[in-house]
Amino acid sequence: MGRYIARRFIWMLLVLFVVSVITFVLMHAIPGGPFDREKSLPKEIMENLNARYHLDEPLPMQYARYVYDVMIPHITTKPPSNSLQDDHLININLGGVWVKWMNFGPSYSSRSRTVNDIFRQQLPVSAQLGVMALMVALLIGIPLGVLAALKQNTIWDYLGMSVAIFGVSVPVIVLGPILIWLFGVTLKWLPPTGWGAKPPYFLGIFPTNPGIEFFKYAIMPSVALGMGSSAIIARLTRASLLQVIREDYIRTARAKGLAERVVITRHALKNALIPVVTVLGPMFAALVTGTFVTELIFGIPGMGKYFVVSITNRDYPVIMGTILLYVVFLVIANLIVDILYGVLDPRIRYT
Amino acid sequence: MMHKRWTMVAAVLVVASLILTACPSPTPEVVKEVVKETVVVEKEVVKEVVVTPTPVPRKVLRLNMGPGDIPTIDPALSTDTSSVQIVELTTVGLTRQNEETTAIEPGMATSWDISEDGLTYTFYIREGVPWVKYDATKDQVVQVLDCNGNPRIVNAYDFQYGILRTLDPKTASDYAYVLAFAIQGADLYNSGEITDTAQVGVTVVDTYTLQITFKEPAAYNANIAGMWVAHAQPKWLIEGDECTEARGDRWTETGFFQGYGPYTLKEWIHDASITLIKNPFWPGIDSVPQAKIEEITWSMLDEVPAFAEYEAGNLDSAAVPLADIDRVKADPVLSQELKIAPVLCTYYYGFNTKAPVVDDVRVRRALSMAIDRQSLIDNVLKGGQEPAQWFSRPGLAGAPTMETHPDLGVKYNPEEAKKLLDEYLQEKGLTADQLDLTLMFNTASAHQKIAEAIQQMWKDVLGINVKLTNQEWKVYLETIRSPEATPQIWRLGWCQDYPDANNFVREVFSKGGSANPREGGGVNWENPKFEELVVQAAREQDPAKRVELYAQAEQILVWEDAVIAPIYWYTRVTVTKPYVQRTYSVLGGLEHIEKWDIVQ
Repeated sequence: MGRYIARRFIWMLLVLFVVSVITFVLMHAIPGGPFDREKSLPKEIMENLNARYHLDEPLPMQYARYVYDVMIPHITTKPPSNSLQDDHLININLGGVWVKWMNFGPSYSSRSRTVNDIFRQQLPVSAQLGVMALMVALLIGIPLGVLAALKQNTIWDYLGMSVAIFGVSVPVIVLGPILIWLFGVTLKWLPPTGWGAKPPYFLGIFPTNPGIEFFKYAIMPSVALGMGSSAIIARLTRASLLQVIREDYIRTARAKGLAERVVITRHALKNALIPVVTVLGPMFAALVTGTFVTELIFGIPGMGKYFVVSITNRDYPVIMGTILLYVVFLVIANLIVDILYGVLDPRIRYT
Repeated sequence: MMHKRWTMVAAVLVVASLILTACPSPTPEVVKEVVKETVVVEKEVVKEVVVTPTPVPRKVLRLNMGPGDIPTIDPALSTDTSSVQIVELTTVGLTRQNEETTAIEPGMATSWDISEDGLTYTFYIREGVPWVKYDATKDQVVQVLDCNGNPRIVNAYDFQYGILRTLDPKTASDYAYVLAFAIQGADLYNSGEITDTAQVGVTVVDTYTLQITFKEPAAYNANIAGMWVAHAQPKWLIEGDECTEARGDRWTETGFFQGYGPYTLKEWIHDASITLIKNPFWPGIDSVPQAKIEEITWSMLDEVPAFAEYEAGNLDSAAVPLADIDRVKADPVLSQELKIAPVLCTYYYGFNTKAPVVDDVRVRRALSMAIDRQSLIDNVLKGGQEPAQWFSRPGLAGAPTMETHPDLGVKYNPEEAKKLLDEYLQEKGLTADQLDLTLMFNTASAHQKIAEAIQQMWKDVLGINVKLTNQEWKVYLETIRSPEATPQIWRLGWCQDYPDANNFVREVFSKGGSANPREGGGVNWENPKFEELVVQAAREQDPAKRVELYAQAEQILVWEDAVIAPIYWYTRVTVTKPYVQRTYSVLGGLEHIEKWDIVQ
């Protein structure tokens, strides 16, 4: 198992390298630079801006500088300064000697902040939202799928699948404003917009005291964001469960005289959930990082915006940082999924 | 299998016992008999009521800034309205614009002298205004102390430092160009040609007197001295001194920020909200009174959810989304809270005067005359915008107004337009449907709607089919400024940096201006008469003569040479709760909230 994880880790580095090169080349290939504005800037001003952010250097040099700043740990006796150029994600003090690692660079558009600041402040919010949306997706999706499969071709099946189709086809951009209008403006049960947690966070992720207020803010965006995924889970669960309950070993279990409930929960569902677990990893990563519309509609200070807006702003360090983060998320989420396979199906072995 | 199950059971038991031992031991169960009996008790209750004076509620104003984080609140680095709004409330320039009349008023300078040649301005700075910061532990605004424990008072050195920091090439300020363009020696320092700041025309005469030497004796010089990029900045906080830790570009973050305006920063949760708190140490002057509202919080929401928050009672003012304008106008309550106010911005179509077909002035003028601007506003935009006959928005110093110049510029005139185009077509031996024209805009639904409406007008009036095409914003900007790729017709908008026609007519369209690059692209145009007029207008001291000079320049720009088709002058459509007493700023939405109040 250890060897397996180590190998996967090395693969991750390789994937990161390839993705970073492709992203770097592509983002510099798109026409338009980070400082092109409606009011065009004089040449001298552009030169100052390019010099400040090293954009006047040749591209390979810029890439090398980036990799050096992010990947290479620096050991120094100088304590971390407040300069934006000296903002490392990891700053470890070893008795007067500092190990500094991962400097993702300054943001071009948010000029008093660095990409690391964005990670520290916005990522936890997106993670909170993503976890809750995933929970909504599981809590709605799995029961709906099971119900539809067990009562195949009955009203329950059609009803469940209708809900699923609704979830897939009504995007957040429609569902969000409807929820705000219904529960926020008309019934006044929930706050229309905003987020209940403020930094600092416990372990950098969790709200320090998630009271009722926190959930009041979180419920509408989580439902809006989770509905689409719940539909995917419901359909997968249904299809997979329908396939599994036709297998020989289910017939055997039934022949043994086991109660139907036991057959379904212990024998069928466990296997039927394998394909569902497969999609959970990427789904979670997508929920955490692809929350742009939800965050915009509900005014949530998360990462989602930075994914989209950084590209339209040509904010190179933010583009690189968020994409690499996404890759790390995806790889780790897939790794967890692979480990979970073994729990669900003991026939799967790691070599 | 059996073995595994028993281990599971044992484990569950262990966990359960742990949980149970953690609970308080249950009390012995007692079976109680319940007897129902109704007893009516009559008794006089004497209650002592302690009356405490109810605290006066804090006046807190809740506004919306628009989606996305504010890019910065650093005077040297700000470029957009949101950033400048915060800068103008937390610091005050040497001069200040009146937000309703755009007149220039004293700010931190109580008065200023202008030298004979009109180049050197001597500003006398208000004494006794302290630097302040918000102290979260005390929940109040406190004065900033220097290393000897005395309050730091805003002085001429702080202003000099502010201007030089903005101009420093290492600061990489976008708007440094406005100072570089106006102040003597500033461009050389900004481009790195000189490093000696003594050669820049910003001199401290004494602690409270600052001298700025400009390149031209222009009427707008005092305006430029008051711009946000020229505000005082705290050197000790940015660069550090014996008793203050250097914060570099982070000095504007929560907990660090220091200012001296009517408000100061309390909290900035990036991408979520920003809160300013009243600065009680701001002395209050006629043009910038002491604030009446204690706290202002801006959320950062998209227009639609912000309007929902307004309707839910969680915001005190909000912009009205296009889709809701008709409903708001019809609603008995909301229509009372509605206000459509002008903003100093212009929306226009530019012509690439070197491109085929539109290289003929008759075609350009015909296209411009064939746009029914009022119909576009009534049917597409619906925000009460004003049809633009020329470029510089009335309200700017030096700009003509509709009252004084009703016939200036270009108007909707389908017959004339058709006649002009026919003349061109006859000469070239073409028919209208043979003209190959393309209009390009940046991808956005509003621009799309406007372009489609105008495309239809050109079809109806002139019989020509104009192709529409769009590009993503940054790609678009590069395209319309490229000498090779600039399309025949393109769109842009322009808002004021300082309220003077110079900022519009000259800075945008003179050769080398924002929409007329020296290398080509943009409008690709040069007219010596126009160049002469705008320079003359900038130097003219008599306001009435200036208006005449700009009117002549505008006539060349939009009629004689028809380089652009001005389309509309912007308005803002906002709703405000009746308990907010407010002003409506024309400065591109830059509000002077220190003049507002909340009355219950």
